[in-house]
Amino acid sequence: MEISDESVTRLTDESPLEKEVKLVFQDTLGLIHIALVAHYGMHDSEATELEKDLYLWFHRFCMRPGTRSPREARPFLLVACCQFAREFQRYLVGTGVRESDDRLQRLLEREPSEVAQDFSRSLELLTFRQTHDA
Amino acid sequence: MPETGRILQFPQQVRRKILSSAEAGLVANRYLGASESERSEELRLVALNDPDVVLAILAQLRGMADGSPSLVASEARDVYRVLADKQSLGFFDERDYFLGESALIAGSALRLLGRRDEAELWLDRAEASFRHVVNPGPALANVSYARLTLHYDCGRYDRALSLLPSLALSFEKLSMRREALKCRFLEAMCLKNSSRTTEALRKLELLVSDPALASESGLLGLVLLNLGDLATYEGRRREALPLYQRALPLLQSSNQAFAVAHLKGLIGEALRADGRVAAAVESFRAAIADYAALGMVTWVAYLRLVLSESLIALSRNREAEWEILAALPTIEAEKMLPEGFAAVTLLRESVRRRQTDGNALREIRQQVKVSH
Repeated sequence: MEISDESVTRLTDESPLEKEVKLVFQDTLGLIHIALVAHYGMHDSEATELEKDLYLWFHRFCMRPGTRSPREARPFLLVACCQFAREFQRYLVGTGVRESDDRLQRLLEREPSEVAQDFSRSLELLTFRQTHDA
Repeated sequence: MPETGRILQFPQQVRRKILSSAEAGLVANRYLGASESERSEELRLVALNDPDVVLAILAQLRGMADGSPSLVASEARDVYRVLADKQSLGFFDERDYFLGESALIAGSALRLLGRRDEAELWLDRAEASFRHVVNPGPALANVSYARLTLHYDCGRYDRALSLLPSLALSFEKLSMRREALKCRFLEAMCLKNSSRTTEALRKLELLVSDPALASESGLLGLVLLNLGDLATYEGRRREALPLYQRALPLLQSSNQAFAVAHLKGLIGEALRADGRVAAAVESFRAAIADYAALGMVTWVAYLRLVLSESLIALSRNREAEWEILAALPTIEAEKMLPEGFAAVTLLRESVRRRQTDGNALREIRQQVKVSH
């Protein structure tokens, strides 16, 4: 899976850190997409749009002083992902554009950081697999 | 409703073309390089509406704080005010982050300028904004460090010493090694100023032998400067000069203008104690020029007195008189001496008669040093 928007992917004069940010984001994108589509019930195209915003956010987040490596910053990426998704779905449900069901309602009531923690466990599994496959 | 229509309804930011840090740095350079009057509205809009550029501006301001605190304080407050008026900038927690970072930079720069009440206010603002970001730990730890430096400035060494170990541990846990080193340095400085010089010396020696310090030229320069100062204090004057000479290029290359000026004065004192008075004169003059460029008039006046003593030692009495006459107006205007300090009249009168009173000069210089 790739970040599809050309304006997002094409960077001139990328620093090694920026290259690593992109790599880590690409690696995590599969999990992000599952969170957005399978859990938060977003449509594919909506998820793709939000993923572009998430990439921009993550790119700048990794430049903040005190942020560890992009790989270690992935749990925060998942928190942001769940926060983005919750705000998006709340907006659509609130304006009546989208209907909610019990499962989605329960998910929207949970704190994004809590939901992200569940995903972080998947991240750990992913890292474990990557380490052992390498 | 078509799919795209639904997406457009979500009130999100307009996505801009992402800038690399190099590209954003160029715009930030242009923005900070222009004076207030040269800064066009277009440049202001481009710079402060683009999160990549705001991030680059803040990074540059952070690096300039030690060398140009006045400029940095003004620019950081300006960035904060512009961003505070905006409903949103960037995504998710970014507006809060930018507000917190600009306030922290402003607070730290104001502290360097000695404007402690204002510095505290800006640190409060930083803390308030950082509480809302996704990863507040590193940012709040930086605010805590800035608060401890304020305690240090106010002479509350015990309070700073009691809080520093916990903060150093936080920085270690967050893998913020540079900040952890800064904590250890601040701890040594608190000990030094509490007259616990043996402990301070031990801490500084441990720091200077830490390989992690090698890549932190500014901090290494400060450690060497203070090791030299302690050597002088303990009467090991000959050991001080090489330490100072090692420190100077490190501080110069890391843009620590105040520390460079201070060090040039210390080098002058070490040279003078070593009997190399002509070289000491040159060092004092260089320190005076640096302090003058920083607008630190009381330091300029103090060093003019120190310089005049060396000039008299070289029988360059006329030059010494000029320095004294240049220093006295500042000493009086800035109330650097107690009211009615008799030596001032004696010194002024002796200079007028072209027979500088060495005792009066020494008495004033010592008093000015104490009150500094």
